[in-house]
Amino acid sequence: MAGRTALRTGRRKAKFSAWDAARFAVLCIGAAAMLFPLLWMITIALKSDTEVFSIPPEWIPKELHWSNFVTGTKQIHFWRTFANSLIIAVLCTIGQVLSSVLVGYGLARLHFPGRKLWFSLFVGSLMLPGFVGLIPLFHLYTGLGWYDSWLPIIVPAFFGNATFSFLFVQYLKTISVSFDEAAKIDGASDLYVLAKVLAPMAMPIIVTMMIFSFQGSWNQYLEPLVYIVSPEKWTLALGMASFRGTYATAWNLFMAADLIYIAPMLLLYFFGQKFFMQGLGSVNSAAIK
Amino acid sequence: MAGIRARRREPHCDGGIHVSAISRKQLRGWVKGYLFILPSIIGFSVFVAYPLVSSVYYALTEWGGYDRPRFVGFDNFKYIFTVDPAFWPSVRATFLYVLMSVPSSLALGLLLAVLLNKNLPGIKWFRTVYYLPTVVPSVATLMLWMFIYEPQYGLANTLLRMAGLPEGTWLTSEKTALPSIVLVGLWQVGSGMIIFLSGLQSVPQDLYEAAEVDGAGRWRTFFRITVPMITPILLLQLILGVIGAFQAFNQVQVLTGGGPNFSTSLLNFKIYNDAFNSKMFGYAISEVWILFVITMIFTALTYLYSNRFVYYESDNSK
Repeated sequence: MAGRTALRTGRRKAKFSAWDAARFAVLCIGAAAMLFPLLWMITIALKSDTEVFSIPPEWIPKELHWSNFVTGTKQIHFWRTFANSLIIAVLCTIGQVLSSVLVGYGLARLHFPGRKLWFSLFVGSLMLPGFVGLIPLFHLYTGLGWYDSWLPIIVPAFFGNATFSFLFVQYLKTISVSFDEAAKIDGASDLYVLAKVLAPMAMPIIVTMMIFSFQGSWNQYLEPLVYIVSPEKWTLALGMASFRGTYATAWNLFMAADLIYIAPMLLLYFFGQKFFMQGLGSVNSAAIK
Repeated sequence: MAGIRARRREPHCDGGIHVSAISRKQLRGWVKGYLFILPSIIGFSVFVAYPLVSSVYYALTEWGGYDRPRFVGFDNFKYIFTVDPAFWPSVRATFLYVLMSVPSSLALGLLLAVLLNKNLPGIKWFRTVYYLPTVVPSVATLMLWMFIYEPQYGLANTLLRMAGLPEGTWLTSEKTALPSIVLVGLWQVGSGMIIFLSGLQSVPQDLYEAAEVDGAGRWRTFFRITVPMITPILLLQLILGVIGAFQAFNQVQVLTGGGPNFSTSLLNFKIYNDAFNSKMFGYAISEVWILFVITMIFTALTYLYSNRFVYYESDNSK
């Protein structure tokens, strides 16, 4: 009985029911648990070398050592590594989005024999665990002389991403074919239709793809670990992991550098939140269809 | 009538030219289609089909990566199953990891989605906060947690000490290392949560209204309406979760290096080590096949067993 009343008032949004209050309380505790590690990280990044190891710990540093952000970034040639990561991420994003949009258009709008077969092969390959390909591909790339270069990471990005193609196909299904036909009657080519008619309408999903692609590349660890040896070619994921042995005692410097590594992702998230949610939401619609 | 006559006449007079004109246009359309999907055809052949097919052979060879592979039949598998002291502990650790991480992150993700579904003051803020940890890059997260788990000055033991509880051993003990790794994954439960949340929001509102009219309570409504309606998403998340958990690598590589005493030596990490540190490529590929087959069997069982509980909307119309 009590449950029913709560449900009704909840629907009307008139009153704050007992159930809502309980939800609110649980969510507050959970949110604190989610945020606490990050806040702790920020306080460490601002502490002095000795304050890091004081017992009991100072939750809020006595004086703020902003200089850690400068000293911390000198440790692993941080900014060069940062630039490496940025270049790789931008190239991978361009490659993945361009190729996936082309493939998605072909699969959604053009008619040719074998279309369904290729579509299921591409989508099916998503179920294949990544480790299956790693060693033979390593052999292939070393044979091509690509070892210790960025090529094994960048080149594959230009050959389509099955998830993104799938998302684009799903999105194109929601856009009426009459738009294409109207443009084609006026003599437009397929590339023109895709670039000037469909892409502007599909911008939400394209931006989502760009964000996820950039994020994926920024996070990538296994492939750089396997292929890139020279420290001057490292990405930030490798650089930050190398803090493990060498600078294990300088927590404040590490946290400061780590925060700068995280910062682009946080900015991307706060400005593109809508697209994050949208992208993950479309996974859900894919499950139902 | 006119149509039939026209069609009959076609083969006799200008039909031949006409048909070939169509097929040439059609052919051009087909070529165009294949040109558009060419990147993925190449990508599929080179990055999926070639490694898959070639690794069947490599699995049966002794191969150091730079020399010529030498065919040894099933020797690798014999050695893996009967001699290798690290193999069975790795299998054990991998299964334990999958069985701990997949259900817990599914359950927590769903719970959070339910809590975040209906409106509350600050609901947008809450959703933002719960998703926030998932945008932190994997290595940044793991390094942060390495410091959190540090025995003396780490956040975890500091908090336990302040609460007057005994300190935890976290990554340093055989018993707690693997659960500690699972816990890091739970911090990033937000991506699953968002997917469930969008699933919950697509459940038709009239079903809830009907349940309320029929006097169904909160629990009944949840288990009889909400859960059945989102089973397709639950199943997809379960399967992707299983496949992902069998591939776990970064956690172990950054946090524990497989120790203590193989307790976190997940198979994917062992494969990496055997290939790139011990230079036993053929051997590692044999292990890849074992992990691959385990993953596929586990996924198939999950699918077959769970699919019975999945509610598909289209079935309803029958």
